Amino acid sequence: MTNYLFSIASNVAIFSILALSLNIITGYAGQAMMGHAAFFGIGAYSAALLTNAGLNFWLALPACLIIAGICGAILGIASLRVQNDFLAITTIGLNFVMVALFNNLEIFGGSLGLATKKPYLFGQRMGNREFFFLAVLVVIAVCFLIVKMRRSWFGIALAAINNDEKAASSFGVNVSQYKILSFILGTAIAGLAGGIYSHRMGFIFSSDFAFVISIQILSMVVVGGLGTIRGPLMGAILLGVAPELLRSASDYRNLLYGGLLVLMVRFMPEGLLGDGSPLMRAFAKIRVSLFPKKGGQSHG
Amino acid sequence: MITQQLINGLMIGSLYALTALGATLIYGILRILDIANAAAYLIGAYVGWYIYLSTGNIILTFLGAILLAGGLGVLLQKTVYSPILAKPQVIAIIPLVASVGLFTISNDLVRLIAGPGTKAYNFSFPVESYRIGGLVILPSWILIFALTATLLLILWFILNKTKLGLAWRATAQDSEIAKAVGVDTSSAMALSYVLGYGFAAAAGIMVGILYNSITPALGEVPSYKMLAIIVLGGLGNPFGTVIAGIFIGLTEVLASVYTQIPIPKDAIAFVVLIIVLLIKPSGLISQKNKT
Amino acid sequence: MKKLLGVLMTLSLLMSVTACASGGSAAGAASSGGSSGGDSNTPIRIGFFTPESAAAAAADGQSARQSAELAVKIANDAGGINGRKVELVAYDDGLDNTQAANIAEKLSTADKVDAVVSGSYSGPTRVAAPIFQDAGIVMVAAYAIHPDVVNAGDFIFSQSFPGSVQGTAGAKFAVENLKAKKIAIIGVDLDFGKELSKYFKSYAEANGAKIVSEDYVAMSDNDFTSIISKIKNLNVDMIYSANYYAHASEVVRQAALQGLKVPVLGTEGADSWQLLQTAGEYANGLYITTNMNRDDKLESTQKYIEEYEAAYKMQPDMVGASVYDAFQVLFAGFESVGTGDSAALRDYISSMKDFETVTGKLLYYTKSRSAVKTVQIQQVQEGAFHGFAVIDDSKIIDPTNY
Repeated sequence: MTNYLFSIASNVAIFSILALSLNIITGYAGQAMMGHAAFFGIGAYSAALLTNAGLNFWLALPACLIIAGICGAILGIASLRVQNDFLAITTIGLNFVMVALFNNLEIFGGSLGLATKKPYLFGQRMGNREFFFLAVLVVIAVCFLIVKMRRSWFGIALAAINNDEKAASSFGVNVSQYKILSFILGTAIAGLAGGIYSHRMGFIFSSDFAFVISIQILSMVVVGGLGTIRGPLMGAILLGVAPELLRSASDYRNLLYGGLLVLMVRFMPEGLLGDGSPLMRAFAKIRVSLFPKKGGQSHG
Repeated sequence: MITQQLINGLMIGSLYALTALGATLIYGILRILDIANAAAYLIGAYVGWYIYLSTGNIILTFLGAILLAGGLGVLLQKTVYSPILAKPQVIAIIPLVASVGLFTISNDLVRLIAGPGTKAYNFSFPVESYRIGGLVILPSWILIFALTATLLLILWFILNKTKLGLAWRATAQDSEIAKAVGVDTSSAMALSYVLGYGFAAAAGIMVGILYNSITPALGEVPSYKMLAIIVLGGLGNPFGTVIAGIFIGLTEVLASVYTQIPIPKDAIAFVVLIIVLLIKPSGLISQKNKT
Repeated sequence: MKKLLGVLMTLSLLMSVTACASGGSAAGAASSGGSSGGDSNTPIRIGFFTPESAAAAAADGQSARQSAELAVKIANDAGGINGRKVELVAYDDGLDNTQAANIAEKLSTADKVDAVVSGSYSGPTRVAAPIFQDAGIVMVAAYAIHPDVVNAGDFIFSQSFPGSVQGTAGAKFAVENLKAKKIAIIGVDLDFGKELSKYFKSYAEANGAKIVSEDYVAMSDNDFTSIISKIKNLNVDMIYSANYYAHASEVVRQAALQGLKVPVLGTEGADSWQLLQTAGEYANGLYITTNMNRDDKLESTQKYIEEYEAAYKMQPDMVGASVYDAFQVLFAGFESVGTGDSAALRDYISSMKDFETVTGKLLYYTKSRSAVKTVQIQQVQEGAFHGFAVIDDSKIIDPTNY
């Protein structure tokens, strides 16, 4: 029983990392990144190949983070040359090309996929429970990172770029540099999630990182609330737990999922927990009525 | 032999051109990437199959499916896309996410209503194949060429010789100014969707006849491949799209037959796109109207 | 700080939500009498998963599910297994490996099933196998042929010939019966196509034939125009089509339309009414290696075909037949050793001999738990599959020889 719970929970935690990392690129820096699963995959395969070659899992994790980040840097530099609509398609294309490479190159196991070795923690083989806690630690670390980032010059610059790129540039903000940095950050973290994923699953397949997964991650961010921390988390939890809760309606799963996307984007594009969404405004009202301000500042 | 492969590539390219026209028309007016255009392709193929099964009349099949798809397009434009775009501060990916949701819904509806099994058109041509010299040309290919040319001619006529077409071109150039000088932008938008979804439906029926098989997964590859083609062809540029479609069709055939690259045919369009964008960031053929 | 609180809150929300959700179904399972024990009134619960909601796999998912339900219904109508009813605990994995892992965890813990049949493709089956192995629950993979599935452990069995057996049998038929000397291989770029082609090529080349061309096509790509045009120029005398029914149908159609008149040998992937429908008259003459013989005189085979067509208004195919047989194996096991002792079930299955199934006689299981059966060669004649030949050379059909 607990194995089942931890299976769902560790998956939700991994996708939380992915959603948070995508949000850095799409929510904060405003770049159209439609191929996030490609970096999820780069991290997953890198970590798998490293541990299969004998490297310790705990060293392979930072390694796959760096590898994914380097690839992200390349994408970031390339992204400077193309405008946003083109970028969307290019990232989709990148996703497809990576999956094709994963499926056709022997080093990645080709169409037979790649098996991974379960790592050890304090002498015990890691199971769903250990992966869950690992992923949660990473989630918390990423949240802290994002909070610090938002308050730093980096974050303020990103906000300015997101708002109006030309104006920001005229104020001396080094737009290119920050764009690349946001790509590096987002893709590196996605790669880390991949390293955790490939070892939790014990076996990875090229289709685990297909375009449809990129859409799933993007949906989590959009449904939860673009540009916030709570948004992607909410989205990951909602869309990760929903298939389990709705097992009886599993035949209609895609229908419900598509419907949710369209409804959210049409009526609540800021997301369920995005800034200014009906839910957040309701929370604020409740908070004010429970704790009326006395003229001082409320804590935030 | 290479002549045969060139003909093969031309045939596939024409089909791509036809399928991609819808997406480019929609981008030209609304500046959004509409993956749900492939929903029209899928629904057109299925609606066409039902019509053909009941009437046996191929003209009726095309007309019925095109009209239905066109109607569906206008409905989606008025209820989903335009309201989304009317909101302030719309990020580029939001309409794209909406189109993905719509496409997912349509895939599943087709699967649930028509069933997951394959359906066959069983449309028989008077002649099985034409042999000229050592070359083979199938009648279905001739139909593709003829259909694509006809629809392109109709498109050219509408865009260049009618008032509605003029309104379209004005709106595509700059929708705000167009509206300010009294151009019927709302009809222009509807036209994009009627033509765009209609053409996609025709392409869907064509593919169903070509392979004699339709399944709920029919639209999956065209949904994203067409986006690559319209970018290559200059977003919003119908004739550039045709050239790009044919170019990709030829490249796919020649690359898969004469080279050993480890990339499946369907990813070639993206590889070409990435290479082109790295060299020329404005695309193979520049956008007709820049905003 | 508020943000961190929010994070912790949402995470604990997650835990409690999932605890409630699965607590509900665990309670449900317990109250319906989870079947450890063998009490004659409790139902036998068999877990099952299949890709029904994924558009690309939905047809196979439907075939698998329908056969599973038919197997259970026929068993229950006949009075059950030793008087106990059989209950199907079926899930849809959406062809998503992560879903499959969750489902496997659920089946092996909350749902307390007595055994499992995998009605899904290689990816989900491969991911689920170690989970069932660790939980000590027997799983029979109906048609997934990834070589690593049975390697998960001694509780995991495979009901279908692996690629090594089917590919080699096909090559033997090609070389000896079709007298092929120059062969073109067209395969799907998944493990199915690659494995079959690898073994086909190996046997064919060792026995005097030459593979003059090898092409792999993505599942999503239906166009074979350029490949057939290319092959036409290579003077082949046979095409080996290692793919599924949509591709096999197109290969056969294009070859006929373009005037390439050579025999085509397909595989069990082509074994479906859908190929007969889309290829129409062009399918006549197509050979396939498969497990189900439509002309089998065996009563249970004909009964399965009749009941399936009556219940579902479509013909059964390889996927469905394999699933049906996986259930028959489990039924035989439960009849003999009851439930509650997975090790006994495992040992029973491992030592099965000459078990009649709708897909021929299951001769025995190898030490690595792969089923050994004769390979059927069927040919499409007048729009239907008919028996043509049988490959029963034990050097070929026993997977341990590879």
